[in-house]
Amino acid sequence: MKIAIAIFAFAAAAFAQVRTVTLPGKSAVVNLRIVFTTGAVVDPPGKSGLAKLTAAMLTGGGTKDLTYKQVVDAMYPMATSLGSQVDQEMTVFTGATHVDNLDAYYKLVRAMLLEPGWREEDFRRLKDQAVNALRTGLRGANDEELGKEVLYAKVYAGSPYGFYSQGAVSALEGITLDELKAFYKQHYTQSNLILGFAGGYPAAFPAQVKKDFAGLTEKDETKVAAVKPKALDHTKATIVEKNTRSVAYSLGFPIDVKRGDADYPALLLMQSYFGPHRMSTGRLFQRIREIRGINYGDYAYIEYFPRGMNMFQPPTNIVRSSQIFQIWIRPVEEPAAVYTLRLAMYELSKLIQEGIPAEDFDRTKEFLTKYVNVLTSTKDAELGYAIDSLYYGTPPYVKYVKDAIAKLTREQVNAAIKKHLRADRVQIVAVSRNADALKKQLVSADAAPIQYNSPPPAAVLDEDKKVGPWSIGLRAQDVEIIPVDSVFP
Amino acid sequence: MLDSAMGALRLLLWICAASPLFTAAAQNKVFPYPYAQEDLPNGLRLVTIPTDAPNLVSVYIVVQTGSRNEVDRGNTGFAHLFEHMMFRGTAKYPPEKYGQVLQQAGAASNAYTSDDLTVYHTTFSKEDLPVILAMEADRFQSLKYSPEVFKTEAGAVLGEYNKNSSNPQSKLAEELRKTAFDRHTYQHTTMGFLPDIQDMPNQYEYSLKFFDRYYRPEYTTIVVTGDIDAKKVRALVDQSWGGWKRGTYHPDIPVEPDQAGARESHVDWPSPTLPLLTVAFRAPAYSDTDKEWSALVALARLAFSPTSALYQKLVVTEQKADGINASMPARVDPTLFTISARVKRVEDMSYVRAQIFATIEQFQQQLAAADQLKAIKSRERYQFPLGLEDSDSVADTVAGFVGLRRTPDTIDKSFALFGALTPEDIRAAARKYLVESRRTIVTLTPPATSGGKR
Repeated sequence: MKIAIAIFAFAAAAFAQVRTVTLPGKSAVVNLRIVFTTGAVVDPPGKSGLAKLTAAMLTGGGTKDLTYKQVVDAMYPMATSLGSQVDQEMTVFTGATHVDNLDAYYKLVRAMLLEPGWREEDFRRLKDQAVNALRTGLRGANDEELGKEVLYAKVYAGSPYGFYSQGAVSALEGITLDELKAFYKQHYTQSNLILGFAGGYPAAFPAQVKKDFAGLTEKDETKVAAVKPKALDHTKATIVEKNTRSVAYSLGFPIDVKRGDADYPALLLMQSYFGPHRMSTGRLFQRIREIRGINYGDYAYIEYFPRGMNMFQPPTNIVRSSQIFQIWIRPVEEPAAVYTLRLAMYELSKLIQEGIPAEDFDRTKEFLTKYVNVLTSTKDAELGYAIDSLYYGTPPYVKYVKDAIAKLTREQVNAAIKKHLRADRVQIVAVSRNADALKKQLVSADAAPIQYNSPPPAAVLDEDKKVGPWSIGLRAQDVEIIPVDSVFP
Repeated sequence: MLDSAMGALRLLLWICAASPLFTAAAQNKVFPYPYAQEDLPNGLRLVTIPTDAPNLVSVYIVVQTGSRNEVDRGNTGFAHLFEHMMFRGTAKYPPEKYGQVLQQAGAASNAYTSDDLTVYHTTFSKEDLPVILAMEADRFQSLKYSPEVFKTEAGAVLGEYNKNSSNPQSKLAEELRKTAFDRHTYQHTTMGFLPDIQDMPNQYEYSLKFFDRYYRPEYTTIVVTGDIDAKKVRALVDQSWGGWKRGTYHPDIPVEPDQAGARESHVDWPSPTLPLLTVAFRAPAYSDTDKEWSALVALARLAFSPTSALYQKLVVTEQKADGINASMPARVDPTLFTISARVKRVEDMSYVRAQIFATIEQFQQQLAAADQLKAIKSRERYQFPLGLEDSDSVADTVAGFVGLRRTPDTIDKSFALFGALTPEDIRAAARKYLVESRRTIVTLTPPATSGGKR
């Protein structure tokens, strides 16, 4: 049922200049996703955060005719709002309303997106918010997200993805309102636009919206230079120094596989076996948390997944032309920090050498074939995936994954693992208060200690004899220490 | 799995998103799905809610035991620890097998703990309902773990505390409860006091006692939503849960004495952050029969939501704070009405505090504007269906109410109360509860040199 609708939407999109995705339904709720295929990747040099601030100004400021307070007051009784998400190559505005209020809600949305107010006082407030999100939110209150974003910044340094989509402090402070207006004019264009509708909207609604948005500039689609991350010649580590209780890690390297590529389904299956997000069944979770009780969880990814600590399922409309393989190790008590990193690297090496065991392969296939339905259980998620499928040129996501997984053999998956994953030339990021001590231990050849609350089974202790001294190939000259204040400065 | 902090957040979101909803006619049902509620002879309750979600089913098992039930000194955090232990298996389904069954069902499975409840939830394809219900029945009745496994899991709980600890809001929440309560178990967060968490590995025997007390049918409600046939669900539940033995334990939850005067506390945060200010008042428990709790929910919206005059002044016009909000959580016992602000500069803390006091005074003296109250009622009416997107969110919403009153009936009742609120009700609640003798203020500031510029 879902698949049939999405296919229809996909076909309908093919002959329109402004692309539309429609998922009509009987629900009393209407979901909107208004997408521009542009984002932080086109932030000019020194203006990191311009795309983010422009979107924030549309959703968090007034319109030509209404002040921000008037917008909030009008939205409030309908329990509606307009949200935005800015990534490197996609900016999405999302909203949902009860169908009773669709006309009134859409009128506000149209004014917010097509007739922005560009008021100086809104701009000042939103700029402050964006700076504080970096200083207080990312640097100050979320060691795990901090580690992840530093990892991405390191892997993509010097490439079009080299700057954080949410900006940098001094760049944000220097951005002017005129620069926002210019960005809007240049990139909020018809050719970058995808209109998404789901739920119980009237049949004529998409055409009406399309007509309104025809007022946007007609320009060629934003072109992005090929994103080619620099290859590391050795494993490298960055330690972000800040006063915090425990040590958080993220590590990874670029992979030449994205959604729609031949090896994507195989790597997706690998991810479901090795480190499915926030699930206890993954290999990493089992070996680090379940058996050893070292931390709260350990996961692996083949696609960018921001805000993972707040979400159980991946956000949609985060599309990228380049992805990295990533391992996320949740905070570890200091005495176990070096051991835990070595254990994760040991497991990664084992995965590459031995592949997915036969007994786990069929079960993981079954899991993924069913779980993909859970990913699209809401209309909003279904709409998000349908838009992503349009972008990547794949069949609707559920069908794409189910069909591909059905055909996969263990040999194919293990070959894809060998081809795309590696345990050398890895970028490691740690967040820690004792950076010098951690550096010394990370590069040491001595066995890393681990102490358990209770003795684990003999097989685990035996394994520890290998894990403790496991070499991650990190040399002292490849470790840098940076103070937290210097992150996205 | 076992992401309690996330669970707490979900509950908080639920409080914001699904608190009383008004319908013009009080007799109107606001909960849009028909449901069946049945009790087994052993005291277990089953709530079944067929929805139009194709293929998927959600099972939410609600145990009315949260950190509120941790009545023994030195053993805070045990309700949450149990959320973890429940994944440690039985003789029939050791953890590995349990995981494999979930995997084969393509399930999204997790659990959360809050002040008043622990919830185990799973969403999966409908054909797997029999095996999931049977496996869940087995672990609720036959959980078995060794002292070694218990100690290992205690390490994961400390890991959870660690991952929360980099956020100053977590520390502020701890300090607020510790300062505001002397005896009641809401004195600690769901995570528990840190020394108790660190001592958990030594408390194996106590853990068995905790399980024996609370993991009983009379504390438990199973909510099943989605693509289901209620009769078939009942038969499956009878089959695997019918033999579960009723318990005898009734906790003696300490009653908090009246507060004698205003309290205040401060947290020095060791690294840069924006200063935080929390002004809290001892406030009533959730009620679907008495208007006071609903009136305070409405007051939180009227006085401190983004449409309020105070928010517009401090956040939008003067821009001295980058956020302000208030919440009146739904709790089984009397809890805290909390106003929180993140202030941009330490120097403005006392100004923001004075503005909050002035706002409270205004609502104590004047009646709220009728059109503003109408807007708030309208918002609640529309917010509720927006939060019921799929079988999982329907079950999640119902589970929160089940934690309070053990029945979805309370949804329509409390919405009707909210709809009948008058400006006089709100003023009366402000006069009674938002007073100095019930107040606790907690502040948090960064080191002097780093302090919130901007």
